[in-house]
Amino acid sequence: MDAQKVDMFLMSNSKFFESHQMNMIRERLIAHDDSKWPMLSTIQFNDPTTSLIVSILAGSLGIDRFIIGDSGLGIGKLLTCGGFGIWTIVDWFLIQKATREKNMSKIQQFLY
Amino acid sequence: MPHNRNKLYSILLIACIAGYIWLYYSITSNVSGNNKTAEVCLIKHATNIPCPSCGSTRSIISLTKGNFVEAVNINPIGYIVAFIMLIAPVWIISDLILKNNSLFRCYQIIESHLKKPKYAIPLILLVIINWFWNIKKGL
Repeated sequence: MDAQKVDMFLMSNSKFFESHQMNMIRERLIAHDDSKWPMLSTIQFNDPTTSLIVSILAGSLGIDRFIIGDSGLGIGKLLTCGGFGIWTIVDWFLIQKATREKNMSKIQQFLY
Repeated sequence: MPHNRNKLYSILLIACIAGYIWLYYSITSNVSGNNKTAEVCLIKHATNIPCPSCGSTRSIISLTKGNFVEAVNINPIGYIVAFIMLIAPVWIISDLILKNNSLFRCYQIIESHLKKPKYAIPLILLVIINWFWNIKKGL
């Protein structure tokens, strides 16, 4: 794909991915052809900041896990009152990284 | 987060062990001083409103005593938690012995099914109804 397009995409979506993966994403996207560009521009990524806010406000209900797509862990969190409160607090710190990793797995199909 | 079988199994095992320890602690503290269980729910601590799964420990305790109806009246989610706490360790250990990943595959299938709105929305409604029932009961 066109390097300029890739750079624009990365600039507008930089907060959705881990910093150490950005380089790899850039190289792989440039190496690809243009055929997947329309699909790539329509993926919805989850914002880590949004999921952090949701986690702080309603973490005990597991809503933060449901939002990033971890339904199983979300149900577990819900059934156990936020994992006796401990998991709720742990997730305050883990949820941003988990969101970025989920975004990474969403974009994987376009990298290979 | 559980992308592979071992992570999922270790999470489930740790959760079940923690659950059994918590249950044991609740039953012994219940027997000795007739004192209610400690408050773990952050929502109840902060806002005095119970969350949808408040009372699940009390529900499981009444299940161990054999009161099936009372367990439903305290919190029906206790049945689900008790079911998982009974089945999961057995299934995990049998999977580890047979070097299988049947539980992992079952988990993934259930997860992909429950994400669909036609299953997710009734379940969400059930949780909300349970929540209002908890608030009404004053747990």
